[in-house]
Amino acid sequence: MTATSSPTDRYVAATLRSLPERQRQDIEAELRALIADAIDDRREAGVDADSAERQVLTELGAPARLAASYSDRSLHLIGPEFYLDYVRILKLLLSTLVPLWFVIFALVTFADGSPADVAFGGALYSALETAMSIAFFTTLVFAIIERVSAVRTKRTATWDPSSLPEVRDRRDRFSALIGGVIFLAVIVISLVLIQTVGAVEGPDGARVGPVDSGLWESGVFYIALLIAIASIPFHLLAYYTGWSTLNAIANTVFVALLAVPAVWLAASGRLLSDDYFRAVGWPEGADVIAVVVIVFVLLITASDAIGGWVRASKKRRTR
Amino acid sequence: MVLAVGSGSDRLAIVCDAQYRVPVLNEEALATHRQELRRGTIVLACLLLLSRPNYGYALLDALEKSGFEVDANTLYPLLRRLEKQGLLTSEWNTDDSRPRKFYATSKEGAALADTLKRDWHDLDTALLSLKDDS
Repeated sequence: MTATSSPTDRYVAATLRSLPERQRQDIEAELRALIADAIDDRREAGVDADSAERQVLTELGAPARLAASYSDRSLHLIGPEFYLDYVRILKLLLSTLVPLWFVIFALVTFADGSPADVAFGGALYSALETAMSIAFFTTLVFAIIERVSAVRTKRTATWDPSSLPEVRDRRDRFSALIGGVIFLAVIVISLVLIQTVGAVEGPDGARVGPVDSGLWESGVFYIALLIAIASIPFHLLAYYTGWSTLNAIANTVFVALLAVPAVWLAASGRLLSDDYFRAVGWPEGADVIAVVVIVFVLLITASDAIGGWVRASKKRRTR
Repeated sequence: MVLAVGSGSDRLAIVCDAQYRVPVLNEEALATHRQELRRGTIVLACLLLLSRPNYGYALLDALEKSGFEVDANTLYPLLRRLEKQGLLTSEWNTDDSRPRKFYATSKEGAALADTLKRDWHDLDTALLSLKDDS
């Protein structure tokens, strides 16, 4: 910028900068004439040249705003037409992908040999990063859609009353969710109590609990608990956004992450301690309890997974 | 009764209060309501005034004198939009020392002005009948 450029020159340049090339010349000529006319008018009324120019430019407002008005550009990132879809899709993606990513990341780092707390911390950090990436790219895509008029006019989806969620159904699911959290807490507490307080003296003099001591100390239960805890916010978010096919898929993956290793451990006899059951005088107990555990796990997880699909399909049907 | 003759928003608020004993709207809300009501009339006013060709700054002046408050940064882009829609035609006039872009209402523009004017009268009639009923 040279020292000789007047405020008007700078104003016009700033306005034209973001306008299409083919419009520039015409708008520049007109804008300069309009500004000059307005300044002349004020000078005739007795205002000095500098103040007149300043007043006229102030009244015209920010050049970027004027340019947007000339080129019909929107001054918002995502307008009212797409805002609701944007929020819905953002909620859906965050509620499914982030908890899933958290669990997968925790499992992979743990399987790779990291201690449980390191895996947990790393997964938490990574999940936050994922959430931010999802938010960023969803926003970016919608901001682009907002600016591509061809996409905008093609949109035909309209809201209709049949997409309203069932009120009763949601309330029921919320109480079921709270029930699930309590159930999880009871299971965890009783498992810890049985393993520690309920431990008996084993053959080599050491105290053994019903769960295989090597498995107990490996930290595998932390991971299981982690998955179970991660599924709570997942269910909570799904409750607020409504179940979709994506939610049902994520829920099934969640459930499989818990059920498959649990059933495999129980079926291969690695879950329970034979020493414990021999010490309490019930040598075949390990096999019996293993079968009970398998049936129990399969029933609970299958009903949870199927429940997710039922909710998702219910929502689709009412659409 | 005429409420909206070029008076400031303060005066209107006082008139409302004295006549109907309603709480005085805050200035911002009042300005928004009035702006909403006037928004569409600028296009009609332009189409009517430009039956005689004129340039942006003079049109702004003419609109203000007729009681249509409009900002320069609203009017100038609006003129181009109307031209793009074929409602106005434009021509550069180089007779004066300063070349100016003159706009004039096209045939389509005049037809639209007729339609809008009819709508305005209908609305006016409808509002008057509402007032008679109450």
